[in-house]
Amino acid sequence: MAQSGFDRRRVNGPSESFQPTFDDGLEESSDLYDNWKLGEARRKRHPGDIRPIFLQTGFIKQANGSAYIETERTKIACAVYGPRQSKSSSYHETGRLSVEVKFAPFSSLVRKVPIRDAEDRSIANLVHQALASSVRLDTLPKSVIDIFVTVIECDGIESCVAAATVAASTSLAKAGVEMLGLVVSCAGAVVGEDVWLDPNEEEARLASGMLLCACMPALGVTTSVWQTGRVLPAKALLSLQLCQDRCSDIHQIVALALHED
Amino acid sequence: MPSDCLIPGQPVPLPRGPTLQLGSGVYTRNGETRASLLGTPQFHGSTLSIHRVKPHPPAPNSVVVGSVTRLSPQQAVVSITVVDGVPLPPGEDFTGVIRVQDIRATEKDKVRMGDCFRGGDVVKGLVISLGDARSYYITTARNDLGVIFATSEAGGTMEPVSWQEMRCPKTGKVEKRKCAKPEGL
Repeated sequence: MAQSGFDRRRVNGPSESFQPTFDDGLEESSDLYDNWKLGEARRKRHPGDIRPIFLQTGFIKQANGSAYIETERTKIACAVYGPRQSKSSSYHETGRLSVEVKFAPFSSLVRKVPIRDAEDRSIANLVHQALASSVRLDTLPKSVIDIFVTVIECDGIESCVAAATVAASTSLAKAGVEMLGLVVSCAGAVVGEDVWLDPNEEEARLASGMLLCACMPALGVTTSVWQTGRVLPAKALLSLQLCQDRCSDIHQIVALALHED
Repeated sequence: MPSDCLIPGQPVPLPRGPTLQLGSGVYTRNGETRASLLGTPQFHGSTLSIHRVKPHPPAPNSVVVGSVTRLSPQQAVVSITVVDGVPLPPGEDFTGVIRVQDIRATEKDKVRMGDCFRGGDVVKGLVISLGDARSYYITTARNDLGVIFATSEAGGTMEPVSWQEMRCPKTGKVEKRKCAKPEGL
């Protein structure tokens, strides 16, 4: 369709232009712990506080179940497909979970190249481990359930894994996959003498060690514990206890989100 | 959503009385009955279950509908698209196999695959076993099982005239099929 007065050879932008304005809160957060010393208190949050969680189900229409979780600057979308016929050529008496984690190229401060690297797979393994014992895979012979986790924005790997686990379990419940209970997960960072729950990226950098705990509060069962860094046994047990207490709060949020629609 | 909707892992409130049979969507752990699906528990006779109409993989004794994709003298490969009356999402079909001995109940050794199915026929069958890694085993050895839709060589939709013949309305030509008995006859 030819437009009168339309010149293809010129830049046809508007006559006025404006600088893009960014309000990403980066400047604020990057100097939050600038002159922080070991032994000082956590800034802006109490040690046992987690970031507020927004959880919504069923936003990917073509998936059997889906969930979107947002805790401040961690944003994760999760979709569940299946049960599908297994592609592999061997017979499996029980069903299998296949978890795939992908980071958006813009998910972190440094651009993530969109290829499967070792980090994606280790995170997928952690999510798989947290969920595997909760799903009644014995009811699904020869089938496979595909879980796709897309990290849109990542603020702290450990809390990202925890949020991904919560989103994946919510999606599974939404998809009508039989499971023993909902899995929720929480991360704790050992900083000096304190345990800071749900640490963001900067707090994770200050921590000497990390503990990630996934459990089913409805059954009082822990499905997975993952520890990195240097943590004394007493501190590990303390953070495990704190994480489990907080998990029952997160479980409430998941139950609420599932009841909503 | 109703308030008696349960989430996975939540204990199911049980009425007093005789012990119940547990159907799908509920399980027992440490003597306590809990839900394993999101939904409201319902009673069907003495069976307690949480029912969800959702696509599920075939299991032994499910009635499936699929189209024939490949034929050999020994077996017909079927792409299953409907399981227990619930259609599967597009592109997520399961593969089934009708072996020549599972086509009909009598005179099994006289069966010729070419006289029973053709490529593209829509077949209703019953899953007899989970089969091997690649496919489910299906049988059509029952009056109400077999071809339910087929097109003739001329391209017309054929109608069954007997349990092993179908006629094309365009040309009047009779082709051989293992027909399913039409419902309501």
